[in-house]
Amino acid sequence: MEYAIGLSEEGVRALSAARNEPEWMLEFRLEAWRIFEAMPWPKPTDEAWRRTRLTGFKLEDYQLNNAAPTEGDRTGVSKLLGQELDEMESAASLIFQDGGLLYRDSSEDLAGKGVIFTDLQSAVTEHGELLRRYFMTQAVKPDHNKFTALHAAMWDTGAFVYVPRNTKVDLPLQIILNQATEGAAGYHHTLVVTEEGAEVTVVDDLLGGKDGMQSAVVELCQGENSILRYMNLQDFDHSTWNFLTGRAAMQRNADLRWIQVSWGSKVTKAFLDIDLLGEGGHAELLGIYFPTGRQHIDHQTLQLHRAPRCFSDLLFNGALKDKARNVYMGIIKVFPGAQQTDAFQRNGNLILDGTARADSIPGLEIEADDVRCTHAATAAQVEDEYVFYLMARGLSRPQAERMIVQGFFQAVLDRVPVESVVEKLERVIERKIGG
Amino acid sequence: MSILEIRNLHAGVEDTEILKGVDLTLRSGEIHALMGPNGSGKSTLGYVIAGHPHYDVYEGDILLDGESILDMEADERTKAGIFLAFQYPVAVPGVSVANFLRTAVSNVRGYTDQENGSQRSGVIGSNLMPMRDFRRELNAKMKEFNVDPSFARRYLNDGFSGGEKKRTEVLQMAMLEPKFAILDESDSGLDIDALRVVSDGINKLATEDRGFLLVTHYQRILNYVTPDYVSIFYGGRIVQTGGPEVAAMLEEKGYGWVESEFEVVEVVEA
Repeated sequence: MEYAIGLSEEGVRALSAARNEPEWMLEFRLEAWRIFEAMPWPKPTDEAWRRTRLTGFKLEDYQLNNAAPTEGDRTGVSKLLGQELDEMESAASLIFQDGGLLYRDSSEDLAGKGVIFTDLQSAVTEHGELLRRYFMTQAVKPDHNKFTALHAAMWDTGAFVYVPRNTKVDLPLQIILNQATEGAAGYHHTLVVTEEGAEVTVVDDLLGGKDGMQSAVVELCQGENSILRYMNLQDFDHSTWNFLTGRAAMQRNADLRWIQVSWGSKVTKAFLDIDLLGEGGHAELLGIYFPTGRQHIDHQTLQLHRAPRCFSDLLFNGALKDKARNVYMGIIKVFPGAQQTDAFQRNGNLILDGTARADSIPGLEIEADDVRCTHAATAAQVEDEYVFYLMARGLSRPQAERMIVQGFFQAVLDRVPVESVVEKLERVIERKIGG
Repeated sequence: MSILEIRNLHAGVEDTEILKGVDLTLRSGEIHALMGPNGSGKSTLGYVIAGHPHYDVYEGDILLDGESILDMEADERTKAGIFLAFQYPVAVPGVSVANFLRTAVSNVRGYTDQENGSQRSGVIGSNLMPMRDFRRELNAKMKEFNVDPSFARRYLNDGFSGGEKKRTEVLQMAMLEPKFAILDESDSGLDIDALRVVSDGINKLATEDRGFLLVTHYQRILNYVTPDYVSIFYGGRIVQTGGPEVAAMLEEKGYGWVESEFEVVEVVEA
């Protein structure tokens, strides 16, 4: 399947036609395109973009993937992707490459349980009605920001996860995206719907993107009493412009643990929101990052407490090397009536080189009177006293420093629910410290 | 039989001299108590022997079995057989006692150097003491030194009580099997539990092939450990050395006596 897609209404029509999409999806894309065109580009004076500039970014420079693969068997999977696939024991996996699905496998009869785990493109035709109810209607709407509007018009790869009422999937569902073509644009979408009492773990594994651009959207729609563990492992090439908007929309007593890992990219701007819509919700948003060289990582979070008796715990810990830059901005917002809110927000930075810089801007907006909200931001260096203590036990200086940096990430790693993911993250940390 | 010699050691931080000519010889099998008032510089001596980079040595030498250790980094000194038990060990969150100790023991016993002559970075689990052997030994020593087995998984000194930190320091000493151990117990605020842990540790580990330098302010710990020698440290140097009777005398007369007896006369060079 080959098509040339321009950044225009015509391009949107061509994209939709090439995918044989039903009318509603074409209309959806066109409406999103109109929103995109009407919205101004972010300006350096916008609060969200004051510390992360788009200088040097030109959308026209990135062609939508026109080298979509044909779904096939394992022989079409590269060695690298095969390793990613094999290192995790999963209930099922989807591998996307460039603009389409490359491979799928499953070790469980998910369909027999009523679970849907498929690529979005198939879901548009096979589960149109269901998809239409959730796709960019509840968690992230097209007009959320300029990049979500663009995404809604141009989305190419993505997974649809639907877990019906009181159904549990034990092993993780694994989604791998490899943006293989250099200099391309990608619009990856993750839509997870957990019905009442459902339970599932989903892992997004994002690779490639050399000299490219990715504008992704993550939507987590949680029904009452459902349990979701979601991991977004971003390890793009260090030349990628990466934009991400993710939001969890949580109904009563829903339970979420979201692990956001930002290893790769040249520039990342990620908007990550927890939207606690029903009473008694429990949300954890845990992030790690480790920019090196001239990488620039920016996470902006919202913990929206709209209902009483919800708990949210946010922890973002990162180390910085060389001339790397990190920005963290977060707000806990407690709406009127959201009494007995219990919310935490912590950001810790470990600065390994004097040339690296971290900005941390935590914030609270509280409109209820019976709440407990705390926030904290720290920036520290590897203290000589720590290094000396470990060296006095026979560790070399590099070993001591490595151990302290690894220890710094442990507060998040301890809460990563899949062991193979922990091991993979530990390897990257080791590599980043060394390199 | 090993020997640790400190010869005319002058050391300090930048231009502030703290150690002003320390002479001390410690042999295997000996327990040497170093007592002195607060601010006399006795804790500094431990740090300088262990190789703390904040301190500069201006003059003199430290010899381990005749070889100077002054040019060695702290880890090399530890590998050579020097161990400093900290008064206040720092907490290292996220680093488990077992993980840390396995690396430390592997380094000190030379596992790291066996294969390629250097640590291969990026390979987890290589060049380390085999996990089974390490576990077996750690479990045995935890039992011997009354350290709860759950400590293996806990983060190093993170949230430990004073007594638990001391216990962990003693456990580390037992695992690293140094030739010479320097224990900094100069703080007056140590509780009885911590004191017992340290003294029991010394008594169990005080073998013929190991020497101890016990730095302390009070005579209290010497109720549990019997030193071979007691030295009085004052004004950055040792002013008197004798047997356990010196400690008893100090207890009786107090440090005021030391101050009047050994008043430091500042020599101003013309």
